[in-house]
Amino acid sequence: MSFLDAKPGVPLLESDDLVRHYEVSRGLGKPSAMVKALDGVSFTLEAKKTLAVVGESGCGKSTLGRQLTLIEKPSAGQLKINGEAVGDLSDREAKLFRRTVQMIFQNPYGSLNPRKKVGQILGEPVLLNMDLGRKEREERVRETMAKVGLRPEFYGRYPHMFSGGQRQRIAIARALILEPKVIVADEPVSALDVSVQAQVLNLMMDLQEEMNVAYVFISHDLSVVRHIADDVMVMYLGRVAEKGPTEEIFAKPLHPYTRALLASAPKIDPAHRVKAEPLTGELPSPINPPSGCAFHKRCPFATDHCAQVRPELRMYEGREVACHRVEEIA
Amino acid sequence: MALLEVKNLTVEFGSEDRPFRAVDNVSYSVDRGEVLGIVGESGSGKSVSSLAVMGLIDFPGRVTADSLTFDGQDLLTMSPGKRRAITGKDIGMIFQDPMSALNPCFTVEAQIMEALKVHEGGSKKERRERTLDLLNQVGIPDPKSRMTAYPHQLSGGMSQRIVIAMAIACNPRLLIADEPTTALDVTIQAQIIDLLLKLQDDSDMALILITHDLALVSEAADRIQVMYAGQLFESGPADSIFAAPRHPYTQALLEALPERSEGHDRLRTIPGVVPGQYDRPAGCLLAPRCRYANDRCVAERPDVGAYNGRDVRCFYPLDDRGQPTGQTTGETV
Repeated sequence: MSFLDAKPGVPLLESDDLVRHYEVSRGLGKPSAMVKALDGVSFTLEAKKTLAVVGESGCGKSTLGRQLTLIEKPSAGQLKINGEAVGDLSDREAKLFRRTVQMIFQNPYGSLNPRKKVGQILGEPVLLNMDLGRKEREERVRETMAKVGLRPEFYGRYPHMFSGGQRQRIAIARALILEPKVIVADEPVSALDVSVQAQVLNLMMDLQEEMNVAYVFISHDLSVVRHIADDVMVMYLGRVAEKGPTEEIFAKPLHPYTRALLASAPKIDPAHRVKAEPLTGELPSPINPPSGCAFHKRCPFATDHCAQVRPELRMYEGREVACHRVEEIA
Repeated sequence: MALLEVKNLTVEFGSEDRPFRAVDNVSYSVDRGEVLGIVGESGSGKSVSSLAVMGLIDFPGRVTADSLTFDGQDLLTMSPGKRRAITGKDIGMIFQDPMSALNPCFTVEAQIMEALKVHEGGSKKERRERTLDLLNQVGIPDPKSRMTAYPHQLSGGMSQRIVIAMAIACNPRLLIADEPTTALDVTIQAQIIDLLLKLQDDSDMALILITHDLALVSEAADRIQVMYAGQLFESGPADSIFAAPRHPYTQALLEALPERSEGHDRLRTIPGVVPGQYDRPAGCLLAPRCRYANDRCVAERPDVGAYNGRDVRCFYPLDDRGQPTGQTTGETV
């Protein structure tokens, strides 16, 4: 259990230049192409903190979630937990790692098996991962249900008997039942209505307080991110565009893409609205990304230099930005 | 006179003796050149009410209304043929998911030209030219080469532009957009909404924008109506309805938004969920979830009444401080 113990000064979860490429066939006789879904992403996550991953669809945020939970193996780069590289773990240890990093999926209508009762859905991870008797297992399931605000009489019910918000509570309970240290939440509230979304967000924050769990919160909803996250990582086409503390990024976005994202999100209070030219064009294909800075074709500040040389992530005003012209723009 | 006038529209499903009312006595009107926003959570009846206007509610659904007039003509009593000539031509509609609104078996060109053929006629050459025009108008880059593309070759934003091109092909006077951007990314959403508002402004078209996104509708619409469980709860001008909500539901919805609770640790929530078919309360539909509800709210169902320039369905509409009026004495306002 050595790698599961926190070490002082070492981050709980660390991603070091994580890369994931997919090979896609382009038809008979043609060479297959590489989709660089994740192209060198690094970050650290401390216990009890929330890191939000933001970006448009196709930017690689869900691919990142799949690497962090070991659903897939990264093509290159390393994932470390408490300073220990996950790639070096034995099968036995990898199983323990999976227990420590759990996932909540976007659509609570698709992520719960309709043929299983709530008790079975929640009991299965316990059965597979813990050495508990039937009685203790049921005890544990009921405890976790109470924690996420599900009534004990729901134990024997099927998922179709629940509303979207309650289903997401079941999904949260399933992720929590093994007492993980990290939960990867992939768009956990985007399928829910506003009033229910607030209940689920509150629950997630309460559980973080209570169980010291860290979240990787994947979302496209910036107002939700602003509310829940400590740090934000903005991704564009498999790479990090900007990364830093939430309040600073929202107060003064540095990367042109972050600015465009913030300006595009509608605001209810006229005082909050930022008037800016909307971004033209769409996310380019990751099979054939633009040369230089991937964003240069949509960027109002782009120069010839941006079209040729890819900007690396560098520190500027206390956060990391990948933009050649950040000094001039800021 | 208003372009579209809906009075006490009701849509029911299920058996005659125990019907389920998806839309319950909803009235509204839209003028030429106006943008009406309809917001509500899922199950509030916002989509069903617009499908009823389009005549897209099939048996066994039942649509009744005191009146449903478009430009002075009664849509409910006219012959089906005449109604078809209006819907699709004078009233256009955009659906939520562009990927499923397009037929995967036909090219973009064929699908847009079909709408033109049915309503406008003209030679194939004229129709093709008009299609090219339309693609230009909705901002599709390199429209000539996109004409022969199939839907699967287009991105979500591009598909939605094609759907918009189809809807405006016959220069409609009213466009109903049902969650036009829900399936799209924020940057693309901003582009599509700008496009819709520009088209609406250019041709003085009326636009009904149906969405669950309060912020989006507050930016785009002139007038907003808030729906809940099939009923109209509040309607009023966009600039004031969210600044000073008069209905407790509108107030609670706004407080549940993360944008409104900056600096707070927790969001204010609305307990419970929208009532479904079998658990609709006898009194006010919001009563079990409303923080101001009293015995009267539980027993009686309120009607829509005018209050401070709004239409509000509540016994105790909120004052400027956000407190219910007249509740201490128990009188209606």
